[in-house]
Amino acid sequence: MKRIENLKALEKAAAAGRAKLLPPMTRICVGMGTCGIGNGADLLFAALEKALAKSGAASVGSGTVMLKKVGCFGFCAAEPLVTLAVPGRPILLFTEATAKDANAFVEAARDAKALEKIAGRAAGKIDTWDFKTAEISFYNHASNPRASGGVVSDNSFPMVRPWNEIPFFKGQEKVVLRNAGLIDPEDIEEFLAVGGYSSLAKAVFGMKPSEVIDEVEKSGLRGRGGAGFPTARKWRLLAGRPETAKWIVCNADEGDPGAYMNRNEIESDPFSLLEGITLGAYATGASQGFVYIRAEYPLAVERLRKAVETARAYGFLGDHILGTDFSFDIDLVRGAGAFVCGEETALTASAEGLAGRPVPRPPFPAEKGFRAQPTNINNVETWFNIPVILAKGGEWFSRIGTPKSAGTKVFSLVGKVKNTGLVELPLGTKLERMVYEMGGGAGAHKRIRAVQSGGPSGGCIPADKFDASIDYESLASLGAIMGSGGMVVMDQDNCMVDVARYFVSFTAAESCGKCAPCREGLSQMLRILGDVSRGEASYADLDELERIARVVKDSALCGLGQTSANPVLTTLKYFREEYERHIRDKRCDAGTCENLFQALCENSCPLHMNIPGYLALVKEGRLEDAYELTVRDNPLPGTLGRICHFHCSTRCRRETLDDPVQQGEIHRYLADTMRQTGRDAAVWKRLAEEKKRPTGKRIAIVGAGPAGLGAAFYLSRLGHEVTVYDAQEKAGGILRYGIPAYRLPKEVLDHELGVFAKLGVRFTFNTRIGVDFSLGDLAKANDAVLMAIGAEADKPLGIAGENLPGVHPGYEYLDLFARKKAPKLGNRILVIGGGNVAVDAARTLFRLGKDVTVAYRRTRSDMPANLHELEGAEAEGVAFRYLLAPKEAISGKNGHVSMVRFEAMGAGPVDRSGRPTPVPTGKIVELPCDDVLVAVGERVDSAAFAREGVAVGKDGRINADPFTQRIGMPNVWATGDAVTGPATAAEAMGEAKRVAKEIDKALTGEDRFASLFKDFGYGQEIPPEPEGSRKNRPRHLPPDQRLRNFIEINQGYDGDQAISEARRCLRCDVRPNARSPWR
Amino acid sequence: MESEKVKLTIDGASIETASGTRILDACAEAGIQVPSLCYLRGVSCSASCGVCVVEVEGAKSLVRSCAQNVAAGMVIHTNSLRVQQSRKAIVEMLLANHPADCLTCIRNGSCELQELAERLGVRRVPFPRTRKKPALDDGGYTIVRDNDKCILCGRCVAVCREMQTVSAIDFSGRGIRTRVASFMDQPLRESACVSCGQCTLVCPTGALSEKDETDELFAVMADKDKIVIVQVAPAVRASLGEALGMPPGSLVTGKTAAALRRIGFNKVFDTQFTADLTIMEEGSELLSRLKNHGSLPMITSCSPGWISFIETFYPSLLPHLSTCKSPQQMFGALAKTWWAEKAGIDPSKLVVVSIMPCTAKKYEAKRPEMRDAWTWWKEKGHDFQPFFDVDYALTVRELARMVKRVGVDFSRLPDEEFDAPLGVSTGAATIFGTTGGVMEAAIRTAYELVVKKPFPVLELAETRGMEGIKSAELDLDGRKLKVAVAHTLKNARKILNEIAAGKSPYAFVEVMTCPGGCIGGGGQPVAVTDAKRAARQSAVYVEDRRLPIHKSHENPAVSALYAEFLGAPLGHLSHELLHTEYKKRVV
Repeated sequence: MKRIENLKALEKAAAAGRAKLLPPMTRICVGMGTCGIGNGADLLFAALEKALAKSGAASVGSGTVMLKKVGCFGFCAAEPLVTLAVPGRPILLFTEATAKDANAFVEAARDAKALEKIAGRAAGKIDTWDFKTAEISFYNHASNPRASGGVVSDNSFPMVRPWNEIPFFKGQEKVVLRNAGLIDPEDIEEFLAVGGYSSLAKAVFGMKPSEVIDEVEKSGLRGRGGAGFPTARKWRLLAGRPETAKWIVCNADEGDPGAYMNRNEIESDPFSLLEGITLGAYATGASQGFVYIRAEYPLAVERLRKAVETARAYGFLGDHILGTDFSFDIDLVRGAGAFVCGEETALTASAEGLAGRPVPRPPFPAEKGFRAQPTNINNVETWFNIPVILAKGGEWFSRIGTPKSAGTKVFSLVGKVKNTGLVELPLGTKLERMVYEMGGGAGAHKRIRAVQSGGPSGGCIPADKFDASIDYESLASLGAIMGSGGMVVMDQDNCMVDVARYFVSFTAAESCGKCAPCREGLSQMLRILGDVSRGEASYADLDELERIARVVKDSALCGLGQTSANPVLTTLKYFREEYERHIRDKRCDAGTCENLFQALCENSCPLHMNIPGYLALVKEGRLEDAYELTVRDNPLPGTLGRICHFHCSTRCRRETLDDPVQQGEIHRYLADTMRQTGRDAAVWKRLAEEKKRPTGKRIAIVGAGPAGLGAAFYLSRLGHEVTVYDAQEKAGGILRYGIPAYRLPKEVLDHELGVFAKLGVRFTFNTRIGVDFSLGDLAKANDAVLMAIGAEADKPLGIAGENLPGVHPGYEYLDLFARKKAPKLGNRILVIGGGNVAVDAARTLFRLGKDVTVAYRRTRSDMPANLHELEGAEAEGVAFRYLLAPKEAISGKNGHVSMVRFEAMGAGPVDRSGRPTPVPTGKIVELPCDDVLVAVGERVDSAAFAREGVAVGKDGRINADPFTQRIGMPNVWATGDAVTGPATAAEAMGEAKRVAKEIDKALTGEDRFASLFKDFGYGQEIPPEPEGSRKNRPRHLPPDQRLRNFIEINQGYDGDQAISEARRCLRCDVRPNARSPWR
Repeated sequence: MESEKVKLTIDGASIETASGTRILDACAEAGIQVPSLCYLRGVSCSASCGVCVVEVEGAKSLVRSCAQNVAAGMVIHTNSLRVQQSRKAIVEMLLANHPADCLTCIRNGSCELQELAERLGVRRVPFPRTRKKPALDDGGYTIVRDNDKCILCGRCVAVCREMQTVSAIDFSGRGIRTRVASFMDQPLRESACVSCGQCTLVCPTGALSEKDETDELFAVMADKDKIVIVQVAPAVRASLGEALGMPPGSLVTGKTAAALRRIGFNKVFDTQFTADLTIMEEGSELLSRLKNHGSLPMITSCSPGWISFIETFYPSLLPHLSTCKSPQQMFGALAKTWWAEKAGIDPSKLVVVSIMPCTAKKYEAKRPEMRDAWTWWKEKGHDFQPFFDVDYALTVRELARMVKRVGVDFSRLPDEEFDAPLGVSTGAATIFGTTGGVMEAAIRTAYELVVKKPFPVLELAETRGMEGIKSAELDLDGRKLKVAVAHTLKNARKILNEIAAGKSPYAFVEVMTCPGGCIGGGGQPVAVTDAKRAARQSAVYVEDRRLPIHKSHENPAVSALYAEFLGAPLGHLSHELLHTEYKKRVV
């Protein structure tokens, strides 16, 4: 009954399909790919069936609702996906639907009000869809009661954005995925309705095989399996063979970790694949074919198997296809999951029942392939493009993408982005667009570092190369490959050594083991990478790693081998410093290589404090020991314990259970308790007594901020004679002159500076190096000079009127205020900026009784200021205006600033900082004011040193070796913000700790640093089955008590709180491969 | 072979060569020996080692010269720094997972990896081992597999599969766990292996070698209580010289006998004696089958690898095998019965050693049924501890080691004669050493026995040469007889498939396991090539011409044996001592 043997029959079947796609009833489709089912689509489907039965609306056919299973629309991060199509209305697309929503969907099908209500939740709408082989309007068709012939100007669901305005879909072009998620993959009539098999009909009824190849040639289509060989050229080789037995093969052995394009394509639209393959057979004269598909894709295998049977029954496969003399049939061959079987020759060997081991080419499969007969092998996605090319013409296709890389490519975008899923893009699209705009970036608090393109044999492309376009040549020029379309995004928590090690461990395990360079090379590379990740490698190993990688790339037999070195070569090229950090410092900053840290909190702490150690000691009630352990790591525990960003808490594993441990509060509690009871004096005395014997080396430190003080602490303990120079009259730098007293009472800082006096560190204040005397003089008079000058110069805004009276640099104001020299300001204050300086300035002025408004050009969630500082300011009544970009400061009558003109911004696509780009809206907002504080960032003021020949870079930063921190001059080092640019106090002190070790090593020729620390022998028990417990919150001064005073807001823990909090530690440090933080 | 010529440039020199030539061969024509480890002529190119890479201008990566053919206009650099570095790194990596026990390795001095490391100037192994040490497989009688020394070149797998169609070994595992293994990693003796030893000839390292019995033998010879006699297979005299540093094809019959005496064997006999005897028995058997409508074609049975092959793969065709034992086993049975009795030697103290071009002979000697002499004595009422007919079967390689060990300067040895009577033989026996030889010898005798006229031509061209399967037609007094000669099991399989299909036109077929027959045997000197096999073959034919008698039935010692002891061919004693039966082998 079903065999279709002419165009009329084909059209009749298509019409039957159209009646299903555009039924006179509501059609609800659930995305039931593997991804959807994995996220509960099957439960949702069952719930929908139940709800339909209950409501009396039978599914499919007679009732008011048609319920269908479809493939996947691609938005994996938001599965399950549901589409709801009411006749005459656009399709509504819902994301993250659950079984709980079933009743609401059924209701919406029958009730207009319910429909409008649920439409409010829709993620997008589809009114017309270009299926590429046919176009269908979902609101303007026969079964639409309102259509009645003419085009309906439909603005249905005005509150719902079109689907392609959803950031994830914006810029995507669905050629390959044209049918995915919209048609029932198991219903051939629906496929015919969207133009399925029309291309085959066009070919077999009206084109010579060579004309089909000509069309493919015109399209410029290149193989989507990875290598990008021109498809038409490959076909011509097969078509030109004289043999009668020829094979067409579809390579569906998708095996890259994290890649699932082909699986989804087959699950969502198996007939398109069959049509493509059949067209290929027609063009090349093959009469037999098979799809080599992973057995691990059961759903895809099943749908494809059914599709083959159906196509055969309809006469699209088998003898006399469409009633013509053309005969072709397809088998399925299930692969056992060897990665190398994606290689052509290994694939055919495996299909023959032999071990999947590549053989040298030539002979190419087109000459001698499957069963030694001529064979053409193309990837799934290549085949998907064929029907479209035939339907729309090669020329049409060639206009998509770039001249050399035509068409689109489907990528599976996974990893550290918000929106993961299948992304189909015109080739030539910029990488950054995919990662940030479609992927949505990693959020404001994570930094995307790289993307691994092309799976395990691809390369790691660093974020600063994301302006590269995605095409075969450009990816290759970066050392990566297109591959079959895997895109794994990595952020700062991904160690690049570990990334390389992971991919090499994959390819080493998947190497067929035949050819020596690949087998032996991967095994040696894996060994070296393992050594690096354990901190056991040397620089020589790195050279060997690179040498092997190059040889493997140059001399391995097959594509797997030749590309397997790419992850190593690209990470070495772009992230070499990270390798060196593992080798030289034995540190893994990402906190991935377990052997290189004690615990994640310790590893995240810029000072690498032994945090689990003092938590354990607090728990054991050994407060003095805990304090001593702490202070050995950090001379300013009370200070840092108040103002730190608490990097430790951001990676605390306790967070996976409830809240991160508040390591910083405990740290502060310890310092406060010892200070208040006077017991810290004994500890300081001990430190002074155990000072190393004088080395006779003189060290000058320029800058008494966190970095200078940190370095002075360790260097003096190591027996050096340390003098700290500072332009101010007291020590502390930003701690004293930048951070307001309500956050850090100055008596705490003053007290803690006592330890420096005990250690004999000398200070010379009110002296500006580079002005009062030269760096050269200092270098001559000392064995070592350390530049720790910080980054305290305010950055200008760069707008007109910036120099008007009443416009003040923000940091400078805080500094003057701290020195009680601040100018008197008017009542209405406008603070421009969104960082901590802006918030500190706003809250300071609030305390002076001012009316304060903070204007920031992005949104609240994108502000770099600490969230708790922001919340504090809000509680106090500071006004915040977001999405305002300053344009001009305008003067009043007296020439003093009276107003700032802003342009209102809209939130654009996510940019490289991981935040939505502010985009101008053209709308002007004017905020009147009496004074303006500009706090849009700081920079290093190094001009005086640059004149003395110190090499400086961007924003005045001093260029220093990343490891030794030496600058070009023989005995001069630089550290802290002066090198890194504005960072946190803890980070500056962390750098100082590193440089102290380096300076000591350079001066003494020994590595004595570890001797500054001590083992306190605390317990090593892992807490049994931790119970859920929220973090302890210290008492805070209520907002109404903060006005007109600078009393410290945070009152700190009491003793019970501290012990209770310390008990929450899960003790990740208790494991055999934990590394001591002291080294 | 395509005859079209192409021009290309190799290392700056213009070269013209036939299209379809491998780059490696074109380089050789240009006088450049590109190093290679896995490449083996005659089997399909696996291109696994990567040592033969060269730089071809315009190619993205280096090109394996063994796998790629020349093309017109190619510009090839065989020794650029890039090429050298790649080759060296590959060998360094191979050495990292190869034990550095060269000084005690059985292939010390004949190891291709060792030679390559020297040639490439590898002076250190910069990498540690990454592969687990595999277990040694030395529990069999014939072949020792030391996978630790295996560099996975794949030559053994290729000859086993393609030359012998046995596939007892193949690659198993992936990545660094890849290994050459038998089915389910069983010891080789429990596999389908037929012990032909071709793998030991092509192995570039000491991963595959014969089970060396020289130490044991020296110990036995030192035992004053034992009488140790030796037999030497025909092909040995054509290759022992080569194994001891003489040019391939050196014929060293007399020096071999002399060397064996210097080593200390009590009697130095010749397997050729029983080769002549085999012709008598086998020829008679053929005539009997022809007469009594026995299973035809009858197939020779002197090559033990072949016996294992048919027992394993074609047990239903076993009736086609001649029931004759191989010359080695006939010798053992006669030495420990007729000769021992004649010489008044206690057979339990007699040790029979054979020097063979073959590894399968070690296995053959240990077949449990090969104790016919012991049975013979038992039936005569002697209650000896069971003993084998042949006690030790040593390969040419082992004999060469023994000669070296005793310090004899082989090339200066005088030519000596074999001892009588078990050392008397004819040229017909000598040509047993090459493919076609048994057939030719049989025809010489059968013709004269049947036709009772001298065989008109002495040297039979149809059964000579290196063709895989050769056939000839014989006119036996009006009766036309088609015969065939096959060497290597791949060709034997073709004959068997024909027989199984009922389409075999032959009455008599000679099958030799190894390429070229015994001169290409698995016990011969390693690193064998077609040229070396050809040289050994011509030595065998030279020997045939040199010997005064060319027909087995004219061997006086054989005649004496029948007269004194056996009676007539296929008689009762022949049946007991010289014939055997075959069984289906299940692995």
